[in-house]
Amino acid sequence: MTTPMTDAHPGLQVRGLHAGYPGRPVVQDVDLSVPAGHVAAVVGPNGCGKSTLLRTIARLHRPTRGAVLADGTDIWKLTQRQVAHCVALLPQSPRAPEAVTVAGLVRYGRHPHQGLLRQWSREDERAVRDALEATGTTALAGERLDRLSGGQRQRCWLAMVLAQHTPVVLLDEPTSALDLGHVVDVLTLVRQVAAAGRTVVMVLHDLASAARYADTLIAMKDGRVVAQGPPQEIVDEALVKELYDLEADILRAPGDACPVVVPRARG
Amino acid sequence: MTPPARGPHPAADPQAPGGEATAPAAPRAESEPAGPTGPTGPTGPARPTGPARPEAVTAPEAVTAPEAVTARADATVPAAALVPEDSVVLRGGTFSWLFPRRGALVAALLVPVLVVLVALAVMASSTGMSPRDTLSGLLGTGDPGTVMIVRDFRLPRVCVGVMVGAALGVAGCLTQTLAGNRLATPDLIGVNEGATAAVVATAAGSSTGMVGDWWLGPLGAVAAAVLVVLCAGGAGSAGYRVLVVGIGVSTVIGAMGDLVMSRENDNTAGGVFLWAVGSLSGRDWHVGTPLLIVLLFLLPLALAAGHRLQLLRFDDDTAACLGVDLRRLRAAALALAVALAGVAVGVGGPIAFVALAAPIVAGRLSGPTRVPVTGSALTGAALITAADALGRVVAPVELPVGVVTSVLGGPFLLWVLFRTDSTTGKA
Repeated sequence: MTTPMTDAHPGLQVRGLHAGYPGRPVVQDVDLSVPAGHVAAVVGPNGCGKSTLLRTIARLHRPTRGAVLADGTDIWKLTQRQVAHCVALLPQSPRAPEAVTVAGLVRYGRHPHQGLLRQWSREDERAVRDALEATGTTALAGERLDRLSGGQRQRCWLAMVLAQHTPVVLLDEPTSALDLGHVVDVLTLVRQVAAAGRTVVMVLHDLASAARYADTLIAMKDGRVVAQGPPQEIVDEALVKELYDLEADILRAPGDACPVVVPRARG
Repeated sequence: MTPPARGPHPAADPQAPGGEATAPAAPRAESEPAGPTGPTGPTGPARPTGPARPEAVTAPEAVTAPEAVTARADATVPAAALVPEDSVVLRGGTFSWLFPRRGALVAALLVPVLVVLVALAVMASSTGMSPRDTLSGLLGTGDPGTVMIVRDFRLPRVCVGVMVGAALGVAGCLTQTLAGNRLATPDLIGVNEGATAAVVATAAGSSTGMVGDWWLGPLGAVAAAVLVVLCAGGAGSAGYRVLVVGIGVSTVIGAMGDLVMSRENDNTAGGVFLWAVGSLSGRDWHVGTPLLIVLLFLLPLALAAGHRLQLLRFDDDTAACLGVDLRRLRAAALALAVALAGVAVGVGGPIAFVALAAPIVAGRLSGPTRVPVTGSALTGAALITAADALGRVVAPVELPVGVVTSVLGGPFLLWVLFRTDSTTGKA
């Protein structure tokens, strides 16, 4: 694996993670290791604990056991602000401040880097400019976020997360409300983010996109990881049956033998 | 404090102050086709051919490699377009500040207005006092009666009004931001009822029916607010929850006060009524000095929190991931709001509508993207100064400031409720 990074960071490690609510475990004994430059997609049926896993990795939910190491450091040994230097999360349906512009939103991504004596450094400026460029939202910089289409808005949110300059980027269903073209746009962008040396973990409910765009697929059911590995190796009829209780044919894409799941009609 | 992320930080920043592109930038620029990231932005990046990574050097870079963050001379976005629209950047060495241009303009507008209002308020009386007499009283060159009226009665009273107004304005700004609702004012967390109950208790307890020491009001206000917050499950809990519990607890405290009052004689009731409607009558440096000390301590804290409070306008998860410790921020903002409203109400009584109106007016002036802490303080101060002066001029008998603000505040509330904000399209 080659990346343009000269100084690869350790990526993301999750060790023996248990999380949940009193009397209701949601995530059980999850071990993950996603190196820098990799995209991992978490898939599984609704309610399998995907989002809780992602929230726990983002330090929004305290694990009952186990540890999350971002960039080699246990995130619970850091302050909220320090974590914001290592891990960025795009929630599934984020709410922006009223009347914020695209540039205004992306600037908020620099918040963890700013302080009383450092309110708008050149580095902040560069990060925002690069994030706008990378997401193709430069031309929208002055527009108000609430007047954009869903696909444009999602790219702007991604720009905010990228401007945060974290080695680990977490995305919760980044494509859930988008049409196919915008899904491909967003996932292509995700690949570019990883190619620049970041670690991306995203929750996706669409197994086909996950198989195509992820280096590692993490299949979860009932809070446990049931399969983990490259999509070409782990996606088969048995996995689809186990995850979704669904009979399906697995085809191979002509170009790259990427697995394509075609569900059979339920009889 | 140094984060473990190897994100670029000032020390590692290889960039020269000018922002010119240096060597490593050149190959990058070549490897960037205009397509996906060019000025035509919205067309989006090209689609991939497979899981093999597109050669994505255009991606936002450089979590770790310092050379990757080297500035690029880029024509597409001028630096000025990236700076907040209402601010000017000031940089020196590794330090940088954003000077809020629009905020400064608003302050430059409000401060003279406040000064003029203070001057008018010092002059204002039902009997009429000429500007010349007022000035001579202020300077101590007039006749002793005038000097006493201006220096010992009016000036301290006006100054107390300014401070009470500023405190109420900022407290309202904080509660409105915390709750994400423009109608959320400190009265909803029991501050008024708590202060009133404390005053009622002292008046009922004393043989003469006199209202007790000035500090009992703030004490009652803060005690009630603490009770509300404890009932709501801690200061870090979501804003609306504190407000809903606050409405319930205030009603109970208010009812208890009424119960005590109904058993008192008319004399006590009259004294307490004058207090409970909100009045600055007879307030002097005796209460003004402690109020000033408290404000000098609390207002800078509120100003410092202003920038961070903006992030409460995101959903909780996003704000937390941007590095905000939400429980602590909420607890701190609520404590500040309670303390500010507590001293204000304790000193001036529960003066209506200022905490509601001041942040709304200030928000209109300073734009929707800011939390208008300074503007709220100035607007609140101006509102109370004007209302108090008006109350002394319009009627033959002095109207308490709380009555004036209520009379003017009712229509204002209706205006807020019915006016659709033209900039957001929201009611």
